[in-house]
Amino acid sequence: MPAVGIDLGTTNTVVAAVRDGVALTIPDPQGHRLLPSIVSFHPSGSTLVGCAARERRLLDAPNTVYSIKRLMGLPWDSPEVQASRAKLPFELCEGAHGGAVVAVRGERYTLPEISAFVLRHAKAVAEAVLGEPVEHAVVTVPANFNDLQRAATKMAGRLAGLDVLRILNEPTAAALAYGPPSKPQERIAVYDLGGGTFDFTLLDLAGNVFEVLSTAGDTSLGGDDIDLIVVDRMADEILRKHRFDARAQPATFGQLRVLAEEVKRDLSTREEKLLSVDDLVPGERGSLATWRFSMTRRELERASLALIERTFHVCQQALDAAGVQSRELDRIVLVGGATRMPLVAREVERFFGQRPIVRINPDEVVALGAAIQAALLDRSRRKAAEPMQHPAIAEASVAQPLPEESILESDSADSAGGPGLQSLPLVGPRKVPAPIAVPPATFLPGAASKPLVFDVPAQRPPARTVLYGAGGQAAPAVPPPLPARPRSPTMPFPFETAPSVGSGSRAPAPPAPVATWTPPAAGPAPSLLPRPAPLLIDVTPLSLSVETVGGYCDVLIEANMPVPCDRTRSFATAADGQTIVVVRVAQGKSVRFSENTFLGELELSGLAAAPRGQTQIAVTFEIDADGILQVRACDPETGRETTAHMQVVGAEAAPGDVEAMHARQAAHPLAPLEGE
Amino acid sequence: MASREALALFLSSLDRRNYYEILRTPSDANPADIKSAFHAFSLLYHPDVYADSPDLGAVATEIFKRGVEAYRCLSRRETRARYDRALTRGKIRIELGMPSTRPPPPLVRTLEMLARTPRAKKLAEKADRLIAIAMLEEARVELVGACQCEPDNEELAERLQFLYEAMALEMP
Repeated sequence: MPAVGIDLGTTNTVVAAVRDGVALTIPDPQGHRLLPSIVSFHPSGSTLVGCAARERRLLDAPNTVYSIKRLMGLPWDSPEVQASRAKLPFELCEGAHGGAVVAVRGERYTLPEISAFVLRHAKAVAEAVLGEPVEHAVVTVPANFNDLQRAATKMAGRLAGLDVLRILNEPTAAALAYGPPSKPQERIAVYDLGGGTFDFTLLDLAGNVFEVLSTAGDTSLGGDDIDLIVVDRMADEILRKHRFDARAQPATFGQLRVLAEEVKRDLSTREEKLLSVDDLVPGERGSLATWRFSMTRRELERASLALIERTFHVCQQALDAAGVQSRELDRIVLVGGATRMPLVAREVERFFGQRPIVRINPDEVVALGAAIQAALLDRSRRKAAEPMQHPAIAEASVAQPLPEESILESDSADSAGGPGLQSLPLVGPRKVPAPIAVPPATFLPGAASKPLVFDVPAQRPPARTVLYGAGGQAAPAVPPPLPARPRSPTMPFPFETAPSVGSGSRAPAPPAPVATWTPPAAGPAPSLLPRPAPLLIDVTPLSLSVETVGGYCDVLIEANMPVPCDRTRSFATAADGQTIVVVRVAQGKSVRFSENTFLGELELSGLAAAPRGQTQIAVTFEIDADGILQVRACDPETGRETTAHMQVVGAEAAPGDVEAMHARQAAHPLAPLEGE
Repeated sequence: MASREALALFLSSLDRRNYYEILRTPSDANPADIKSAFHAFSLLYHPDVYADSPDLGAVATEIFKRGVEAYRCLSRRETRARYDRALTRGKIRIELGMPSTRPPPPLVRTLEMLARTPRAKKLAEKADRLIAIAMLEEARVELVGACQCEPDNEELAERLQFLYEAMALEMP
């Protein structure tokens, strides 16, 4: 049984697996490698996830749930939850355990349950292609996720019927996908700007050991914020020109967000974007007015510069924590769809004094790394096979090195779901023609009745077919010979070119058998150098503290400690005859307890009544390899383990609740994958 | 990856080793040496190395956590200086320990159980005690004696092999 890696993203989810020493992302039957993290509860009772649910965002907004990843595990009254509540068109309300729940079609779902639907979809997509059940997975989270968010993510995995082998940090996964160092010692940085979160991680690579030195992040900084900059400009203009307040109309505002994303994306490849929309803004006497909007790249860059600058404060925190200078790094890797903005590459270059690297599609790299870690941890396989080697990355996920001038060229419609553009996977090994050539559109059954929108190669910039965003690269009937990838001096790692494995079929061609896994072509094996299996040493992102008198933090486990790690602390009674000691635990950067994320209260009860200070309890706080807190307590006199009860908010519900969650998952079948 | 016996040996001697001994690095090692010592340590004791065996993974976790404690302390100048001073007073650990909740070492038969003749049993028993206090070289001398008494005892010979293995690991 294969183990997969799943990048459970704020906007998109990607699933990948290692087969025959090659890590590949797995497309859905339509060929999308980015599965939108959207769950829509259809009136028919079935649950739509992924691309099918994306269309429902505008049609059935109150019952279509998205962008909840960052809210998992957070308390209801946290600023993040309250801010999202105001912005999202579905109903978020307070749950029984202090976390947020979603109210949809008369049913209340905790957020891990929503993520479980997304993970079930990813699992189904993987099973369809791999042809066997998938039960083990490594699921990634932003490096800066706290204990509660990690625990909630793990719970989501369990609800989806997955044995979560590891909760892995996204930048660490990306580093793993980029492979072993090109020299004996290498110091690299991963700059990960995703849809909703920013992470920056420093690593030392030595042989097959990947040691994380430090990590820092901002869980509310990402590409979505740049969309909002564009939305704001649009709304201001509409108000000025048409005297119409789009901010007061949730539906209009939602449409503006979709348009803004498109504008942002297009401005990564173009200097200017013009929009003309007829059905959005009301005109005179109930008719609709035509609204025209234009924005140049320069304008967008000027407006987003402050936001990008914020990322460098985060970078500096991580550099300071590791005692490393910004110019001492051997390479900088860009991860996350938002790094496609030319501005990002340019500012990164300015800050670090070197050009960043984008060798693997930044939307897929995290899932690929997770798949590599999954293969490493997959117990059954490890026993059987000979020592594992560092997997290579499928050709389809390889991005071209950055061009000389910052043109992070993205032709990807997939990455952001451009309306009407069906993206196609890159199919077939390089050396041989694609196994199935695209039939002319007229050959397709149903072509007459239903317009099939192809990503017509002619509409693309003809010469510059930069493979940045392989998911969106249209494969013409005969794949054009690719220029030999220049080996940039910054990345001399001899990249193993493994044959690309496509889904075997090009959607949306209905008659073809869908997505059979084609093993890498036989014949001359890819020249894989024997690389020993990597070992990851990751760290905990946030300090773990207990509250002291006066509301300050007594730090038990510092940020950036390698995990697993533990710390034992002894607590004494403060009053005569006291039989209960309550310890409050929080995670975060601040020295003031109340400014950190409150994890819970540890109640040590049933102590022998004694004069104050006489009774002592030793409590061991352990951060496990998933970055999740485990607590155990004992009486140091007797060595007996004390029953410690730790109450946390959000995910960790009572056993009865967990059963109810499982029951709700069982009661909501996913709509079958289209094309099956 | 370390053998089951080597893991058991190391776990049982953890509380008697100072941080340098845990990472197997000389006390005058420079920061780069400490880092590579921690990497070598991790390749032997990181729980992911034992992903196929939950019980060995639990033992490795306990060892690894102590290694993290040692690495963290020795990789910073201030904490290392403080530790070096504490060490001269005979304090080998800065943290408060909690030995009672540690998982028991994996079941390994003692050398004394493996030996058959009274003379070999006596030497083997001595070696057992020396191993328990991490005096591997002294234990080796006794075990070689036991093996000479019973040249056909393959299990005993195998243990000697493991002991050499563990001692080789000791070499910084």
